[in-house]
Amino acid sequence: MITDLREDRLLITSDIHLGAFSCQAGGPFTRFFEFACANGFNICINGDGIDVLHTTLGHITRDVSRVLGNLQPMLRSQTRIYYVIGNHDIILEHFLSDWGSLRLVPFLNVSSGDLRIRVEHGHLYDPFFMKHPDLQSALTRFMGIFLRMKPNWYSWTNTFRKIRYRKPEAAQSQRDKHGRLTIPGQNSAFIQAADELARRGFDYVVMGHTHAPGTFDLSGGKKYVNTGSWFHHPHYVKIENGTLELKLWNG
Amino acid sequence: MVYKDLGERDYATGDTIVREGEMGTEMFIIQEGKVVVTKRIGDTDVFLATLERGDFFGEMSLLESVPRTATVRALTPSRLVAVRAGELLMKIRRDPTFAFEMLQRMSSRVRQLNDQVVQLMQMDQVTREELEKLSLRTEFPERKAHE
Repeated sequence: MITDLREDRLLITSDIHLGAFSCQAGGPFTRFFEFACANGFNICINGDGIDVLHTTLGHITRDVSRVLGNLQPMLRSQTRIYYVIGNHDIILEHFLSDWGSLRLVPFLNVSSGDLRIRVEHGHLYDPFFMKHPDLQSALTRFMGIFLRMKPNWYSWTNTFRKIRYRKPEAAQSQRDKHGRLTIPGQNSAFIQAADELARRGFDYVVMGHTHAPGTFDLSGGKKYVNTGSWFHHPHYVKIENGTLELKLWNG
Repeated sequence: MVYKDLGERDYATGDTIVREGEMGTEMFIIQEGKVVVTKRIGDTDVFLATLERGDFFGEMSLLESVPRTATVRALTPSRLVAVRAGELLMKIRRDPTFAFEMLQRMSSRVRQLNDQVVQLMQMDQVTREELEKLSLRTEFPERKAHE
């Protein structure tokens, strides 16, 4: 399994949740994929690209096969796809390997120009997941049943997020209720984890999982970046010849 | 060498970070810079590897409590993170993929060593065959000439 690589043109996104009852990202993600292929970017899906927890076999088959059908012409192109495993697709850990132009990995260490970038979904640093992984999995599955009955629930939470954080653009750091600096909408444990990772010689740590897009300045001039989710204001990281920026996808 | 917080240490170019034969209970992760690994064979320092940021070294002394098996010097100004024996498990708890990457790199090093052993054995085989041919020529020159 190769987790260290050099990339001059790479787009990273996360938490598309294809196949989930409440997922509406199929169309925008297809356009994102088209954009990447047309502009010579490789793609990294940083976890939870498909969702096997909030769905049924029939639903995920219909939803994912429709998106894959749209992507098929592009899948024959030279575009390489890196798929980092998340918690909603953790079953894919059984397939960690290279599958032609698709590479399934637990994390990526990307070099671009002089930058070293760590790409990881981030569920391993979720305090609840770390303490009670089985309970978290069970609750997530239960949530799936709830979402089957009330698929609009995510859009309600998104409305709440939009009201609370207002801007569609990724947030900058703010203090949480305990006075610790973090990105609005996420636990500061992710910042601590990113800091620990950055100390291993990374300039950027890119995560998903929290559905809260934003950037955070770590110690020593390093940065933590979160690409949020495709449930609202999808974001992606663009790596181009040794530069990195977090961008909003408007496609 | 300058000690910083959180186990971080700065080394100037040419500083010796670990010395072969000395006891040590720390491993190091390279945060910035490059280091060179050498081993003393006879009177010569033999180059083993250059390591750069993201790489680590010194894990054998930490895991097996044995003296350092090589000398490591800073090739450029370098900042290292030192992980002591008592901190490794906590480091892995806070940063679980570090254990995965350690295993990945150690597996890669074992594979490279295996390849080198095979190469050496092949070289040894060739050398032995050459020596045998030479000794045959020396011992039975007439017979070789007849053949």
